[in-house]
Amino acid sequence: MALRMTMGNEAAAMGALAAGCDFFAGYPITPATEILEEMGRRLPARGGVFLQMEDELAAMAAVIGAAWGGARAMTATSGPGFSLMQEHIGYAALTQTPCVVVDAQRGGPSTGLPTLPAQGDVMQARFGAHGDRPAIVLTASSVWEAYAATRQAFALAERHRTPVVVLLDAVIAHMREPVEIFDLPPPGRAPWPGSRTTKPPFGRHPFAPFGGGRDPIVVTGLSHGEDGLPTTGSGQAAERILKDSITAIAHDPELASGVEGFYLDDARWAVVAYGITARAAQAAVESLRAAGVPVGLLKLHVLWPLPEAALIHLADRVDGILVAELNLGQLVMPIRAAVAGRTPVEFVGRADGLLLAPEEIGARLRTGSGSVVTEQGGRRDA
Amino acid sequence: MGAGPVRLTRIRLTGRGGQGIMLAGAILADAAMRDGRHVTETQEYGPEARLGATKAEVILSDAPIAFPEVGQADILVCLSRDGFLKYGGRIVPGGLRLVEETSVSEEALDRDLCRFPWRERARHLGLELTMNVMAIGTLQAVTGVVSEESLEAVIRERVKAAYVEANLTALREGERLGSGVRAPVVSPEGKRREGSRHGFNDLQ
Amino acid sequence: MPKMGQSVDRFLRREMLPTVWCPGCGNGSIAQALAMALDRLGTEPKDVAVVGGIGCSGRTPFYMATNALHTTHGRALAFATGLKLAQPDLTVVVTSGDGDSLAIGGNHFIQAARRNLDITLLLYNNAIYGMTGGQAAPTTPVGAHTTTSPATGSVENAFDAVELAMAAGATFVARTTTFDMQEMPVFIERALRHHGFSLVEIITQCPTYYGRLNHIGEAPAMLLWERDMTDAQAGQHGGWNTGIFREESRPEYGDQLRRRQSGGGA
Repeated sequence: MALRMTMGNEAAAMGALAAGCDFFAGYPITPATEILEEMGRRLPARGGVFLQMEDELAAMAAVIGAAWGGARAMTATSGPGFSLMQEHIGYAALTQTPCVVVDAQRGGPSTGLPTLPAQGDVMQARFGAHGDRPAIVLTASSVWEAYAATRQAFALAERHRTPVVVLLDAVIAHMREPVEIFDLPPPGRAPWPGSRTTKPPFGRHPFAPFGGGRDPIVVTGLSHGEDGLPTTGSGQAAERILKDSITAIAHDPELASGVEGFYLDDARWAVVAYGITARAAQAAVESLRAAGVPVGLLKLHVLWPLPEAALIHLADRVDGILVAELNLGQLVMPIRAAVAGRTPVEFVGRADGLLLAPEEIGARLRTGSGSVVTEQGGRRDA
Repeated sequence: MGAGPVRLTRIRLTGRGGQGIMLAGAILADAAMRDGRHVTETQEYGPEARLGATKAEVILSDAPIAFPEVGQADILVCLSRDGFLKYGGRIVPGGLRLVEETSVSEEALDRDLCRFPWRERARHLGLELTMNVMAIGTLQAVTGVVSEESLEAVIRERVKAAYVEANLTALREGERLGSGVRAPVVSPEGKRREGSRHGFNDLQ
Repeated sequence: MPKMGQSVDRFLRREMLPTVWCPGCGNGSIAQALAMALDRLGTEPKDVAVVGGIGCSGRTPFYMATNALHTTHGRALAFATGLKLAQPDLTVVVTSGDGDSLAIGGNHFIQAARRNLDITLLLYNNAIYGMTGGQAAPTTPVGAHTTTSPATGSVENAFDAVELAMAAGATFVARTTTFDMQEMPVFIERALRHHGFSLVEIITQCPTYYGRLNHIGEAPAMLLWERDMTDAQAGQHGGWNTGIFREESRPEYGDQLRRRQSGGGA
């Protein structure tokens, strides 16, 4: 097995190429710039298109345009750029345009902490665009997972015809770990499965881009039905398409299984974490286990749709859940809603650019049901 | 877990932007990977491309590494004064500190600090920029956390052809500087044992 | 194979008619001129994509029988850039208004001109925001009335889209009016045939807002106003010069990119 020390951002780029990505448009931003640079180096040599646009709005717009031109298209950014992309992420959702957005999260809000990690874009990745829409958000807690998640994102984007977000964080994006050298498929664009000759262009029908001899269609950010034509004055047809998509995504077994358990068989308390924080949580659990404390970890690979079944299953078996994330309380909210009182759900988080240390998570796991500080800063007794 | 103690070493490299701290970390991590170790390498740097304190952190282990951040380092390698001031403090009691001699002021001197004239020697050899590799050479000689062969192989692989020889010379000079020093090393039991410490001051 | 000049209708999407445009709006004339130009080009609707922004002009793609990409406010050129590079065989036309391209999308406008990608931009300039109800645009002439200008008229200087595009490096730059239905399809056809970024600015009438707020009158009066504002003395009375101001050959962006592709190996 040939190993190579690889940066998380480079791995994400390789994951995209492995999935057949042949178009990248982006704008430089720390800590995502290496994805841009890596794609700039590799895509032209593979016959693909690399574009540095004038801003993130334009980058996301170009990605959507490229998808309708038949490309497997991606962009990469960080917090401020991700905020700018939200309108177009909503556009891609309504127009059912398959594409991938990697967001290497940094401290925010605003310019925030450009080189320091955060996990503060979790809710923005789900709800950042106005209106209601389906959403798929993956994450990674190692360099290998950055590769795997980005590769998987393209398959999911194509299957569900929706933008898929991969949330990295500044540490995973910039860290290097040995990974097996990636084999890339031969260059070239695989045909899209969709045919418009027998199926309408929108709804639960495969994606088929412009051109290639296909009949012309209308793509619009106005609410529309399966034929693509705007339905001014009524949102029923568009709502049905969106609801069908949300349902299909909620029932996709690949997404529902996007969790990984560590030491959960006999765990009394479990920490739920993702990204770099899952690494700290794993170290905390291993250390407590060595001391005989029955704790475990549920690591999330998929953030949205929230793997509710796995969380409920966990909640039914443990005395309590500790949600750990690098923000002031984001994913803990839907987790609490999903668990619905089956077991106490505590929270530990920070948004000062520092990581949650294993000791910090371990101490909270040990404390279990004691008096704790809530994410709102108040105190309450569990 | 519970399969016995794990040999794990947390190394922090620090200096000033432009001194090649990132490259030093990369060379060390690549070499350790060649040695068959588990490795993580993380970096932190300010907005400046030049100057400003920077650090690279490398963890070497015989088992998969859960958390890649070096909180308390076992070993500090420091090339500059601002790096020492910003990142020099978080080190385990009795940890090994290898520092460029001009990066600490006289009053900060204590006998646990191993000072090396990397900058002066690198200048003398004609390429001050190889100071980072020289420091890695010294780290290798003092601790043996990574093999000389792997370091050489990585330098041949990573460094531009025109600079390979200069860097190999710097590596060997670093190793020579460190060869008189024996350091506290981490035992297989995961506990620190005192090595011979004489020679630390002989270098000054 | 339809004969050129005999089948303009094949570029129009009948099921979308009537248009959202007000009676007397100039946009229908532009859509017609575009259909004529595409027809003269001898292309097929399936080989064309019309990309619209937001605003009255942005609705044009709905009425064309080509591929239609109706995008977001100001960003049509950025969408078109990705589309054209991903599928260079498509003829890509952008329809965008003066607010869309010169206010919210001003940066994309100059960047697209700079890149010189083979896209044709039809810039509908009615000197006002129509769809939102008559607000000031970056093209509103000094002294003209809008719902958001001072009672004495606009005090902001107006952009000259032609000068802006030329300064930014566009390789085909022209201006015409909906008054001149002989000239407009000719200019659009030449822009479509030009290999590089092409701008055709079209002075068009908005009787509902510009005509009413400025007491010019309905469409016929506005067309005469267009004629007067683009006469030989346009430079002296704050009007617009018309004509083709630049038509030059420079390396096209897509060609440049493809020259750097090797098509194999990673």
